[in-house]
Amino acid sequence: QEEAQAIDQELFTEYKFSVDQLMELAGLSCATAIAKAYPPSSFTTSQPTVLVVCGPGNNGGDGLVCARHLKMFGYEPTVYYPKRPSKPLFEGLTTQCQKMDIPFLPEFPAEAALIDELYGLVVDAIFGFSFKGAVREPFGSILSTLERITVPIASIDIPSGWDVEKGKADGLQPDMLISLTAPKKAATHFTGRYHFLGGRFVPPALQEKYALNLPPYPKTDCVLQLT
Amino acid sequence: QAFPLPSLPRKQPTVLVVCGPAQNGAIGLVCARHLRSFVGQRDPRVGLGAWPMVGCPGDPHPLPTVCVPPPQVQLINDAYNAVVDAVLGAEAEGGEGGGPCAAILDALKHVRIPIVSLDVPSGWDVDAGSSGGISPDVLVSLAAPKRCARRFLGRQHFVAGRFLPYDVQKKFELNPPPYPGTECVVALRAPR
Repeated sequence: QEEAQAIDQELFTEYKFSVDQLMELAGLSCATAIAKAYPPSSFTTSQPTVLVVCGPGNNGGDGLVCARHLKMFGYEPTVYYPKRPSKPLFEGLTTQCQKMDIPFLPEFPAEAALIDELYGLVVDAIFGFSFKGAVREPFGSILSTLERITVPIASIDIPSGWDVEKGKADGLQPDMLISLTAPKKAATHFTGRYHFLGGRFVPPALQEKYALNLPPYPKTDCVLQLT
Repeated sequence: QAFPLPSLPRKQPTVLVVCGPAQNGAIGLVCARHLRSFVGQRDPRVGLGAWPMVGCPGDPHPLPTVCVPPPQVQLINDAYNAVVDAVLGAEAEGGEGGGPCAAILDALKHVRIPIVSLDVPSGWDVDAGSSGGISPDVLVSLAAPKRCARRFLGRQHFVAGRFLPYDVQKKFELNPPPYPGTECVVALRAPR
C-alpha cells in the first residue's frame, strides 16, 4: 500500500501529472477493460445496463470517468454517488456524466434481487488503494447488498472493503479486477475470471525504480489482460 | 495506426515532434509522451526529439529553447521516420508566420519524410486552407474536421472526437462516423 502511495506521489510531484490527467486515463482503462470482457452483445438484459457505484474518494472519481466512457462505448450506465466531495474535479466529472444523460440514483436499490433484474454488470468504484480501517455508512450496507448479487462485479483497483494487502475472504468476490498502474498485493487473493491491468501512464524510469516488472501492453492498447 | 512500428523505414522508431507555443504544441507534448509509451520500457532504440518552441510570434523576449536542432531539412530527413506537426492549430490567425515559426514551417515544406499534422496543417488558414503551405501525409482532426480539411490531399485523415458529448455533436451538426470498438480515432475515407 505504501509503495502504491509513493508511486502516486512521484507521478504528481516529480512528473507533474495532474490528478485530472491520471484519473481520466485510469477511468478510460476501466471502461476499455469492461468492454473487452463484457461486450454489449453479451448482456442478458434487454439493454447493456451497468450500475456504477462511486465512493467518496478518487476511486469514485475513476468510476465517474469510467461511466462516461462506457456510455460512449454504447452501454447504459447508471451511477449511485452518495458522498460527493465538494471539489471542482468531482463536481466537473458529475456534470459531465449528467450532461451525457447518465442518471444518478437518489437511493441505492434496496434488494440484491432488484440489482440482478435491472443491471447486467456492477462497477465497484467505492474504495481504492488508500482505504484503511472501518467501512463507514452507507457503504457498509451497500457492500452487504453487493455481496449477495449474482450479476458480475468489476472492481476498480481493489475490491472494496478488502484489506489492500491481505484481501478479505468473506468480502466482495468480484468477477473482474482492473488493477491500476500495477497490481496491489491484495490481487493475489483475487479469484474472479478477469484480471486486467490499466493506467498505462507509468514512465519507464518509474517502473524501473520500483521494480514493477510489468508485462508489455499490446500495441496502443490502454489495457492488458493478465488473466 | 498510420505508421505501425514494423512499417518504419529506419532501424530506430524515431519521430520528431515539433511543438508550437500554444495549445497545439501542448497537444504535441502529450502525443510525444504516449508515442514513447507505445514502444515499451527501456527500449534503447527509441530516440524521440521534441522541439518545443517557446516565445514564438510576437514575443519580445523569447525564452531559450531546449533540445534545439537547427531546422535543417537534411538533418530531419536523415534522423527521423516522421514528423508530427504540432506547431499551430485552429486558433492561429492565417499568415501568422513570424519569428521562429516561419523558419520551421519553411523547413517542413521541404522535408521528404511523412508529416502528421495535428488538427490544422500549421500555417494553413483554418477555413480556406493554403496553397504553397506544408503538405502533410496524415491529418488528425481534433473534435471535428476544420473547413480547411477539404483541401487536405494526404494519405490518411483521422478524426479524434469520441469525447464530444452527444448534445454538442447534435448542436453543431457534426455527424461523426461511428468509432470502431473502443478506439478513440476513426479513419475517414481517403480523399483520393
